[in-house]
Amino acid sequence: MTPIWSGLSIGAVYALIAIGYNVVFIAYTTFNFAHAQLMMFAIFVTYWGLVVAELPVLLIFAIAAVGVGLIALLEEFVAIRPVKGAHAHLVTTLGMATLLDGTTRLIWGDQVLKVPAVGSDATFTLLGGRISVPEVVLVVSVVAIAVAMIVYSRRSLTGLALLAMAEDRDAALLRGINVKRLALGAFVFTGVLAGLTGPLVGPKTFAVSTLAAALALKGFVALAIGGFGSLPGALLGGFLVGLVESLTGRWLGSQLPTIMVFVVLLLILMLKPTGLFGTTRERMV
Amino acid sequence: MALPRQLRALPSWTIPLVLGVLLVAAPWLGISSGTRRLLLLTCILALLSSGLNLSFGYAGELALGQAAMYATGAYLTGYLAMHWVNDLALLVLVAAAAALVVGLVSGVPGLRLGGWSLAMTSFFLVLLVPQFLDLLEHYTGGAVGMVGIPRPRLFGAELSSLDMYVVVAVITVCWFALMRNLITSRHGVAFQVLRESPILASSLGISVYRMKLTAYAIGAIPAGIAGALFAYVDKYLAPHSFGFTLAVTVLAASILGGAKSIYGPFVGAAVMQYGPLRSTEFEQYTQIVYGIFLILAGTLVANGLAGLADRAVARLAARWRPTPDVLATGEAAPAGPAPDGPALPPLTGARLEVTDVRKRFGGLQALGGVTLTAVPGQITALIGPNGSGKTTLLNVICGYYRIDSGSIHLGDAEITGRSTHDVARAGVARTFQTPLFPQHITVREAVAAGAYSPRHVGMAAAILRLPRYRRAAAADRAEVDDVLRLVGAARLADVEAASLPLGTRRLLEVARALVARPKVLLLDEVASGLDEDEIDRLAELIRAIRAAGTTVILVEHNFRLVLDLADAIHVLAQSELIASGTPDEIENHPRVLSEYLGVRQEVHP
Repeated sequence: MTPIWSGLSIGAVYALIAIGYNVVFIAYTTFNFAHAQLMMFAIFVTYWGLVVAELPVLLIFAIAAVGVGLIALLEEFVAIRPVKGAHAHLVTTLGMATLLDGTTRLIWGDQVLKVPAVGSDATFTLLGGRISVPEVVLVVSVVAIAVAMIVYSRRSLTGLALLAMAEDRDAALLRGINVKRLALGAFVFTGVLAGLTGPLVGPKTFAVSTLAAALALKGFVALAIGGFGSLPGALLGGFLVGLVESLTGRWLGSQLPTIMVFVVLLLILMLKPTGLFGTTRERMV
Repeated sequence: MALPRQLRALPSWTIPLVLGVLLVAAPWLGISSGTRRLLLLTCILALLSSGLNLSFGYAGELALGQAAMYATGAYLTGYLAMHWVNDLALLVLVAAAAALVVGLVSGVPGLRLGGWSLAMTSFFLVLLVPQFLDLLEHYTGGAVGMVGIPRPRLFGAELSSLDMYVVVAVITVCWFALMRNLITSRHGVAFQVLRESPILASSLGISVYRMKLTAYAIGAIPAGIAGALFAYVDKYLAPHSFGFTLAVTVLAASILGGAKSIYGPFVGAAVMQYGPLRSTEFEQYTQIVYGIFLILAGTLVANGLAGLADRAVARLAARWRPTPDVLATGEAAPAGPAPDGPALPPLTGARLEVTDVRKRFGGLQALGGVTLTAVPGQITALIGPNGSGKTTLLNVICGYYRIDSGSIHLGDAEITGRSTHDVARAGVARTFQTPLFPQHITVREAVAAGAYSPRHVGMAAAILRLPRYRRAAAADRAEVDDVLRLVGAARLADVEAASLPLGTRRLLEVARALVARPKVLLLDEVASGLDEDEIDRLAELIRAIRAAGTTVILVEHNFRLVLDLADAIHVLAQSELIASGTPDEIENHPRVLSEYLGVRQEVHP
């Protein structure tokens, strides 16, 4: 049972990344390569706050949320706004990702830093498997965030406006939706969300400058499994990737998990390229 | 004054050839051994970036997998040279083939989804490189690296490091020559059509998926070759040479030189090797610099140094030899069929039968059981109010949409549910409501694209410029000239197609469709936005096409024009056919008058 709990909790992290990708996808029909870097930055900020500066927990959450939100704002202005088209954005957001990777390495170096839990880090036995308090908090929070976002996107006007924008940007504009501001809001939201969840994720992943690349890929696989634009899909996809990774590591050896996740990606792309919850939109001429 | 003109008159490959010879001969021109090594590494990086250009710049798919293919080529070469046979020529081939396999394995799934999934899949592939090297530690040396690669031998003779430089330079020059042949052939134009408009590409019979896969897979070949060469040059391989940093370096060299250029990667690679990659202090800041560079290059620089050079050459050329303003003279003698132009050669038409076709988009019924037949040598018109389903019907015939029920036959063959490029290859050509012409493509190239799949010539033939390719290219040229003369646009052959006025672009779309020698020609609102003179000329052209024997289906709002041209008219309203008949019958049909023309009528029960 332990590998299952462990898989679910790391899967929650991947789900978070996939949710971030999804929000940007809904708002811009584009892909933010650097989203995982935002998360990594939040984790390093948590490490700095808890271990180096020894700040109160709430202040750390606030600093991470505001700081990473600002980085997202900056990214929107320099890497998203000036260019059009998903492929151009791939290059600029990849640039942003590389820049953030480099900055992180410059500030915190290459070594793996252990991030303490913000609360209790006790471990206990649940249904025959060991699980720690931070892991439980992580899984529960991610599920709650996803559910809240799903409800919000379907019930609130802002959510509906976002969906309308994803469907047809020009039509939404004509309907009086301030497309630019809404999209910017969504983008900054992904940064703030990464900032707020960073302290929860840190104890699970540790802080290391190569973390973002790994998170980006697993998050992408979660997204591909769930389907682009689907929040429930992102959640489910994240947990699936986490379980595949953890169970492969447990039963097949420590060298194989990442390769296995790659195989899962290839399989899903071959068998159901739109993902479990994705829809094909028919092309218009 | 005369020199630039003479330079412009030289074949476009002259200067690259001279530079290529200089590159190979560089060791005898008194360069230091340090410079020689830099040039060598430049060649290797240029090979990698050139492969990326094919998929990123030309086919429009960002891929980062070059590093993985490079690693495959390098490790395979290293291992085989130590344990099997040490022959450079053979191992270069093996490495190229292995890289091609890696390209196919990652490209087949990666391209299924379109968009950025190839970028992510290939990125994943790169991050897996160290893991695979670890897994195969017994063969690769794992994290320690592979040591003991012997000096290269070529046909039995051991190569000195000078010989090796010459080999690398020659291979690089050859690769760029082949690449140049590919890009300047019709395949190069097909790639650009693909990047700018997949919709247009598939209507020309190009399979978007296959073509992108081909570009990505061919791009793997130079990466594999570069890997083999690198293994022999350094004789030591370690995982850190093949990581994400390399992938970004390759991308940076490609963008810097110009992703949509043939020789740009070499310049980009040279700048990278002489600049950032040489200094060791740079290491700490590598990622920061690359990151900023990618953001800046992605936002500010259009097509890198090659783009800048192109613009500079164009400006110089314009100063020395002002080109007559074709568009301005076009005012005096607007495009249109010349009165004494050549007649169309006979075309074979095919009967198109649409039977009880239904199509819903969610809750909206777009086609509710439409049945009609169009026969060769006739113009079948489709009219109806906006939103009545005319264009949907064309899109359904072309295979852009899957239908819910019903069937579509072309001659004796059923084309229901076949993909767009298949339908196009079966002989259906079309024009679009908004004419589709990719940027930076001349009228001649754009129109010749119509012949790309009907008279397909393989890439190998194009790359090696085999007689088959030369014959097809000559035939293309003659045919395009004829068709352009027919639509009265012969003077515009070398102008950028996308820059022309709407009326001319509509005629060019018809020309492009004609070059495909279609069995069925679908014209979607081809007269809208044209003035009266242009409409007359268009009508003449459409009649000539009918006389040639093709089946013509005309979707049009201009009721007069339709009555004038059509042999049979079908009227769609609210997704159903409300009337079919000859122009006379339709002109007086009560429902047509009330629903389409809005004429008030007393309805006799």
